Amino acid sequence: MTAARDIEGYIVDRNVYSMDPVPLEAKEYNRIYPFYDHLKQGRLTTTQCVDCGHICWPPRIVCPQCISDQLDWVDFPKVGHVYAYTVQQNGNPPGFPAPMIYALIDFDNGVRIICPVVDCKPEDVEFGSEVVLKVVPAPRDRVLFFFQLKSKSHQ
Amino acid sequence: MSRQGDRVAIVAAGMTRWGKRAATFRDLVAEAGKATFDANPNIKPGDIKSFIISTVYPERSAFQGHPAPLAAEWCGVRPSEFHCRVENQCGSGTTAIRTAYAAIKSGLTQMVMCVGAEKILIPSHEEIFLNAMAGCDREWEACFGVTPPPLFAMVAQAHMKRYGTTEEQLALVAVKNHNHSLSNPYAHHQKGATLEQVMTSRPIASPLKLFDCSTNTDGAAGVIVATEELARDLCDQPVYILGTAQINDGYPWANYHKDWSSWPALKTAGEKAYQMAGISPSDVDLAEVHDCFSISEILEYEELGFCPKGEGGRFVESGMADFGGRVVINPSGGLMACGHPFGATGIRQAYESFVQLRGEAGDRQVPGAKIALTHNLSGLGEHHLLVYGRES
Repeated sequence: MTAARDIEGYIVDRNVYSMDPVPLEAKEYNRIYPFYDHLKQGRLTTTQCVDCGHICWPPRIVCPQCISDQLDWVDFPKVGHVYAYTVQQNGNPPGFPAPMIYALIDFDNGVRIICPVVDCKPEDVEFGSEVVLKVVPAPRDRVLFFFQLKSKSHQ
Repeated sequence: MSRQGDRVAIVAAGMTRWGKRAATFRDLVAEAGKATFDANPNIKPGDIKSFIISTVYPERSAFQGHPAPLAAEWCGVRPSEFHCRVENQCGSGTTAIRTAYAAIKSGLTQMVMCVGAEKILIPSHEEIFLNAMAGCDREWEACFGVTPPPLFAMVAQAHMKRYGTTEEQLALVAVKNHNHSLSNPYAHHQKGATLEQVMTSRPIASPLKLFDCSTNTDGAAGVIVATEELARDLCDQPVYILGTAQINDGYPWANYHKDWSSWPALKTAGEKAYQMAGISPSDVDLAEVHDCFSISEILEYEELGFCPKGEGGRFVESGMADFGGRVVINPSGGLMACGHPFGATGIRQAYESFVQLRGEAGDRQVPGAKIALTHNLSGLGEHHLLVYGRES
């Protein structure tokens, strides 16, 4: 019994990262850590290939078009447009309580991102809605990003 | 298409009861192994020299990696020619059979047992939904809470917007498949469904409701795949693999293709599988397709050539996807009614093809079935296909 209780304590109290879906963002774990550093400054960025100019998403360390490893960081356009969206009411994973709005968001740089749209009612979102970045804190000094309606962000 | 005499065939198939099972991962494997051997008394575990386990996340639901030797042993098999685990998320089962086909065609082995098994229903309900994130891209999707229901819901939104598909048409896929399962004793659900029941079921991700979704289920299934020469010795009615195709056109989900109302990769893979089998869509008598969500089956009618693009909603509405229609889609009840233990689904589809093409499907028998198609997907642009035929 004692041993079993010890195992439970270990899993709850220690850092069992394998059960944590948030990426390992810090420099010592991740070669694209500048993405997260930029995010903490309120900038959404990705990589562009110096050799062929290809902008990809998600950011990479090797260009998938020409296999160059010479990549620069570039900022996203400030505003994205909702291509499609849905409101999840049931079956949400832990940490994402219903209702959650998920959207496919298109940017003028050719990138599409799948991400939640937050701080609004489901009926406020429509096809073509303009959205902007919202950086949110995550456990253990990490960050994630969501989007919010552009009109709401000025209120 | 392989020449006659040089083909690869299924010579045995079996499955467990699917559902909320009082059984561990390895219990399910052992049950499927026994059901498969029981289906063909000419083959004993000692005859099997090659073994493939198809399973997606035993590491999460059973805290068990390295499942191939475990599963082989629990089926009484000590492989001496070829063994491995395959994992391609929801397409793992079809991938396992393709791997067996490739191993046999290469000459490495002459006969392979494939078992698909998945334990999904673990004590913590929240952990089941957490596990659903594991097959998505952890750093760019799962960390935002993205799981398959919202992704397929956005496919439905795009299809409804472009082609005018209705929520009732989506619901009719569920009604059809749940009613098919009334005569499938292995299905998770065997209660049927009415349009009203589906339309009033609780919302999951708009426009998808509970009955628009496949079910979290425990289950396993097995097949034995062999050379044509062995098949003729071991089996009175082998079921031949006539064609197969596989495709993936991007990763993660945001990068598949821009128009989510079409699945161009599935169209390409379907054409390739039909060409290899030397058939056209109108030759298919039954298809076990990946109805993980109602909208998926609608897209599959279209991209697999059973109806024109954009007509999928009207195709199911007019009864063309049912008994008496153009092609019987998911006579087993599909993923919706059988349930969807990821690694087992493709093997179950092969089981259904095996019994249907041998005329052993009982009350759900497709009359005179000669050609069956199975389709697994593991992303909008990731598809796995097999075409089966009986001895003509």
